[in-house]
Amino acid sequence: MRRIILSVTVALVAGIAGNVTAQDTATYFKQNCVSCHTIGGGRLTGPDLKGVTQRKDRDWLQAFILNPQSKITAGDPYALKLVEEARGVVMPPAPGISAERAGLLLDLIEAESALEVSQFRGVQVSSAPFTPVDVERGLALFRGTQPLKNGGPACISCHSAAGVGGLGGGKLAPDLMRVYERLQGRAGLSAWLAAPGTVTMRAVYEKHPLDEKEIHSLVAFFEKQSMAGTQRVAASQLNFLLCGLGGAVLGLVLLDTIWRGRLRGVRRSLTQEQSSRGKS
Amino acid sequence: MNVRSHVAMMFHLDKCIGCHTCSIACKNIWTDRKGTEYMWWNNVETKPGTGYPTKWEDQSKYSGGWEVKDDKLKLKSTDKHKVITNIFHHPNQPSMDDYYEPWTYDYQNLFNAPEGPDQPTARPISMVTGKPMNVEAGPNWDDDLGGSPIYAANDPNLKNLTEEQKLQLFSVEQLVFFYFPRICNHCMNPSCVAACPSGALYKRGEDGIVLLDQKRCRGWRFCVPACPYKKVYYNWSTGKSEKCILCYPRLETGQAPACFHSCVGRIRYFGELLYDADKIEAMAKLPDEELINAQREMILDPFDPHVISEARRNGIPDDVIEYAQKSPVYKFVKVWKMALPPHIEFRTFPMLFYVPPMAPVMAMRKDDKLTSVSDNLFHDIEDARVPLQFLGNLFGAGQTGKVVYALKKQKAVRTYRRAVTVGDIDMATAEQMLREADCSVAEAEEIYKLTSLCTFEERFVIPPMHREMAMEGTTDPMFRKQEAGFGFMAGPKRSV
Repeated sequence: MRRIILSVTVALVAGIAGNVTAQDTATYFKQNCVSCHTIGGGRLTGPDLKGVTQRKDRDWLQAFILNPQSKITAGDPYALKLVEEARGVVMPPAPGISAERAGLLLDLIEAESALEVSQFRGVQVSSAPFTPVDVERGLALFRGTQPLKNGGPACISCHSAAGVGGLGGGKLAPDLMRVYERLQGRAGLSAWLAAPGTVTMRAVYEKHPLDEKEIHSLVAFFEKQSMAGTQRVAASQLNFLLCGLGGAVLGLVLLDTIWRGRLRGVRRSLTQEQSSRGKS
Repeated sequence: MNVRSHVAMMFHLDKCIGCHTCSIACKNIWTDRKGTEYMWWNNVETKPGTGYPTKWEDQSKYSGGWEVKDDKLKLKSTDKHKVITNIFHHPNQPSMDDYYEPWTYDYQNLFNAPEGPDQPTARPISMVTGKPMNVEAGPNWDDDLGGSPIYAANDPNLKNLTEEQKLQLFSVEQLVFFYFPRICNHCMNPSCVAACPSGALYKRGEDGIVLLDQKRCRGWRFCVPACPYKKVYYNWSTGKSEKCILCYPRLETGQAPACFHSCVGRIRYFGELLYDADKIEAMAKLPDEELINAQREMILDPFDPHVISEARRNGIPDDVIEYAQKSPVYKFVKVWKMALPPHIEFRTFPMLFYVPPMAPVMAMRKDDKLTSVSDNLFHDIEDARVPLQFLGNLFGAGQTGKVVYALKKQKAVRTYRRAVTVGDIDMATAEQMLREADCSVAEAEEIYKLTSLCTFEERFVIPPMHREMAMEGTTDPMFRKQEAGFGFMAGPKRSV
């Protein structure tokens, strides 16, 4: 009896895992790939995947998807070329990837490449110059003074950037001062913000995605930071230290006031009182 | 009535010469170990002075003893919720500086110093850190009024003295001081015992000696601030507290405690008292000025047949009752009312009593000549150099009445004896003085004998300790207490 239950369970689990449809693959691609790749939209951090199956054979591609680092470590010339093109960014292994899923992904890419306009063409970014209003709004969104439309948390809760306040922003996630360059400009950054590529950010913004206008403003803000070329100022760290010290001093003063009546030694105060009286 | 037997002590301050022999006897026997260097289970203080540790009498600093709050007797330092908040650090603890940092000298340097232009010296070395130190305080730092502008001037007993009296006390030609030897008072109502969170301190049932069980002590140090006389000391080496044990191993073999035995001035008297333990709580709640009478009332008359039968009922052996009848302390405290407890306003009911010291009358400088206010150098109590209020603060809970009574009796006895032996005083005057001092001729003779001619056996009436009856030999009293519980509040209806 127990063996039957076990085999049924195994079969069910395997069924769920194996039941990958074309719709699922598209969703998977959207969630995991579009932050760096487009199909027919030009390169972002990673290369444009349009017609990739013609550029390289499927077996190589599949192996690369499953473990990008091993190809690079093995010294594969094509892989090394990719790394160079991506300015040293190595493709992270996608969560829950399997040989089967990699095949399905390649199928999807092949099918989408054949279309005139792919659904994964990427976010269409206008090349119109950003206005100071955009930058201002971006800063407001970053700091959370203007809440995000879909209820996502403001960037400052985890990230820091220049000009967001004396104490800087959150220290949980990377500093975003150079993010515009890191993600290679407007297109890459917009794509990332539309579908964040890291596990942490995805979990947070999956249900509360950023609005297109918000992305526009934030990109404007980050671009401005990058253009200004401001160095990471030590001021915020200094401020943080000073606030800490100030807080500690305040706390000590408070404790001293609360327990001002405590016994501080009897004999010494007598002798000190006497010697101070002697001087005056 | 719950009659208990208690070994009690009396120090006759008029005889104390301040030689510190008692302190040294105690030190050599009990506190010459590591961690006990600063402990003086017996010390001799100069009054006026701040004593040891500095200003121990000032309970606004150390919070020792009991207070009456909402008609309940409570510890000043440690009520129930303060036990929790202060368990790791008691704020009213005297610091090492309030005692002193014990030191020795680097004697080797006298022999090993390299040749140089200067005489080598033995520098003081701290016995706590082992490093050279500057000596800033020591035991008896204010001995014989040393550093009196700092120490004697801050004596808490100077409270309620007029500025004039204070000025007189410290002006050079009128300087006066007396000695105040102190050991643990083995109080009737000990606050150190009440404060101990570990139950390590206990009062021995058969003789009232307050002891500290070294096995049970956990070093919380609540006893140190709780004792208003600061006679429990923390051993920094063993991490446990220690206190005077009244030399119970000596008592159990019929010898007087070491400090009593070694006393050069023969000021110390040892004897037993019977007291009524049922009354302690009610009596300790009385106002300050009634406390001395309350304690005298609790001390029972060992000749009263009712007291004797109650004592027997409580398991006190007949020979112990017999010794209570011979006790010199009983006479000085209860019969003659000459011995007074120190600072009874701390409400611990000390079982160490003091006969207050006499002092010469005031003299002052007039036209470069010293003139006394009275021709009779030891006669007029009110004009004594030690202000009565000072003695009242020390021995009378702020009141001078009991002190005056005790001093008057002492002076009357002295005058009477002078009339007998020297004869330059009219016997009628002496007898008049005795009457005024509430003292009969027979009583005066007895006081004189026990003060001046007392033998070793008369001073130290040590009751038989009956160790053969004590259970400690076979059973741990604490376990026995836990096992026996409180007994039945009411008898069971059916047999058990």
